[in-house]
Amino acid sequence: MRNIYGITAYMQRGLPVSYDRTILFFIFFTVSLLLCLSGPARAEEYTFDISETEKKPYHIGGYAELRPVLLGLDKNAALYKLKFYNRDEGTALEEYNATLQLEGSLEKGIARLFFRTNTVYKESYLGSDHQTTIYEGFLSLKPSSSLTIDMGKRTLRWGKGYAWNPVAFVDRPKDPDEPDLNLEGFIVASADYIKSFDGPLKTLSFTPVIVPVYEHVNDTFGDINRLNFAGKLYLLLYDTDIDFIIFAGGSKTTRYGMDFSRNLTANFEIHGEFAFINDFKMRFSDSNGNSFEKKYDAKSYLIGTRYLTERDTTYIFEYYYNGTGFTAEEMRDYFSFINKGYGTYLSSGNDTLLKRASAITEGNYGRINPMRDYLYLRISQKEPFDILYFTPSITGILDLNDRSFSLSPELLYTAITNLELRLKASFIAGERPSEFGEKQNDYRLDLRARYYF
Amino acid sequence: MIRIALVLISLLCAVPVYAIDGTALLKQVDRNLNPETYESYRKLINIEPDGRKKEYTLFTVKKGEDKLAALFLAPASEKGRSTLRLGDNMWLYIPNVGKPIRITSLQSVIGGVFNNADILNLDYAAEYDVEKVEEKGSEYLLHLKAKTKTVAYDRLRLWADKNKKLPAKIECLTEAHMLIKTLYFAEVKDFGGGIVRPSVIETDSPLYKGYKSVMIFAKIRKRELKDEVFTLTFMPNIESLR
Repeated sequence: MRNIYGITAYMQRGLPVSYDRTILFFIFFTVSLLLCLSGPARAEEYTFDISETEKKPYHIGGYAELRPVLLGLDKNAALYKLKFYNRDEGTALEEYNATLQLEGSLEKGIARLFFRTNTVYKESYLGSDHQTTIYEGFLSLKPSSSLTIDMGKRTLRWGKGYAWNPVAFVDRPKDPDEPDLNLEGFIVASADYIKSFDGPLKTLSFTPVIVPVYEHVNDTFGDINRLNFAGKLYLLLYDTDIDFIIFAGGSKTTRYGMDFSRNLTANFEIHGEFAFINDFKMRFSDSNGNSFEKKYDAKSYLIGTRYLTERDTTYIFEYYYNGTGFTAEEMRDYFSFINKGYGTYLSSGNDTLLKRASAITEGNYGRINPMRDYLYLRISQKEPFDILYFTPSITGILDLNDRSFSLSPELLYTAITNLELRLKASFIAGERPSEFGEKQNDYRLDLRARYYF
Repeated sequence: MIRIALVLISLLCAVPVYAIDGTALLKQVDRNLNPETYESYRKLINIEPDGRKKEYTLFTVKKGEDKLAALFLAPASEKGRSTLRLGDNMWLYIPNVGKPIRITSLQSVIGGVFNNADILNLDYAAEYDVEKVEEKGSEYLLHLKAKTKTVAYDRLRLWADKNKKLPAKIECLTEAHMLIKTLYFAEVKDFGGGIVRPSVIETDSPLYKGYKSVMIFAKIRKRELKDEVFTLTFMPNIESLR
């Protein structure tokens, strides 16, 4: 190896012009042979500009994204009727989305200010619309490596599940179809206290959180004029991540949770979550639109695994039991009510029932995955056929209660620095009435070009 | 009589041969590569057969035998990502996802020939036992066997310079002795503070024909770090260590 580098250095200095061609050819041949035999070509110079590592007290970054979407409509589906009963938009809809997500930080001493905003411009059958939301904006104080205090709007993202997080008591629900997307946070005051140990218990950290809910402050979180408390105790015990979680305060009923995650082998991980929700209030409707409310202690749980094969195929598999979800019968009643309302509208032009159906949909039947039992499977193959930076994957979500499902193949390509290209399709299938069978779309095509800066 | 005298003379003149303590040698190689507790900056370059490159810049901190954390500084698409290793446990924190997830040592967080185990590499002596040491001219050849099944490569063949006790080449093999990749150590540089080590590691792999990856080191220096820095909860804050 040292010889190779010596020759390389000699080449870089240049050869005397008086050497005849035979000698030059011989040297060239010998050098080429040595370089070939020695593995990768090392004549190349690699540079590392140290200025790249200098830290600035501020940072501005984010991404800009363009995302055209094509939606294939199912005109016989209940949710199509609910949304489009008084308009005809044809068999397919086009939608054009442009997103700018900006984030920045300013650091001085133990203090750091951070913000993340999300601006979406959308052009759809409803016309054009744009909205800017502050996802996060908080002040962070770090008096020592054991203690961090944060105040402001932030996301906590509690839980170990990939598609669902029943223990994320202080977060907005994530979309299992896009679980990696940023979410809008809530205004909180929180702290992280960390302690490390030798022995089976390697880490202990405690995260207390205060969640104020007042008019104009987190007023979508739950009942207003309440100060809520949440806490998370994290342990790394016997190489297992374990969290114990609690939420209390009145804006929502008291709830308890725990989660865990552990690598059984170098390529096989298991995780789980369990949530107990005290006195959960469920609003539901019968097929005639009569509303009822029931109160019960709800238990939700999730068990999942992540498995990586020798061929770099990753399987993520989860089972989710949603104790706050509707039974198949309750969902059937809801869809029947919509169909009844649609029938009334067609016969009389009276949309009162459909408007009532809309009112009980929002935040209730209209939740993401509103039923009880779900299976999630995502299979992704890293760089098949030796194509670097190319990852095809397929995701399936199955509603076990009515056997309806969605299937989403996608292609991700990241060869160009800072540019991420993704083509995703989603197909849904299910009998009527069923969760996926009654959705307004039959299919969806989604192209996303995202540039990070 | 003459024969006996010759034997005695040759015995007296013979250079004493000591068995090489492979474990001590490997520990020496580890210490020469890095101080036990340090911070450093690295640039990773993935080079495709057509010459196209993709570059990543990382800040790394390591403490003791089994604690290591790395933060991506560039490119913008990866900025803020951090990885943590505590023994066999590895996590990845992606700012967009907002929480650390467990990853495996064989996975690659960036694509290309380097995988997590290469980016978050602990001391070789912490993960491998020395089965055999051979002398090959000016180099030692150490045959290493993983201590546990959770280590990314079951076997390593490590060539180390006899004088400098620094690695020159490492072959990474499966349990069935199949070559996964080769690391070439080059351009020994004085980083200051008594740290003199290769500043470039090149990698190729028969699994990625024509592709190669290069890791360039800068600003390696000893640094005292608290254990709490190497925790899941601290992962979003690794930038504050710079």
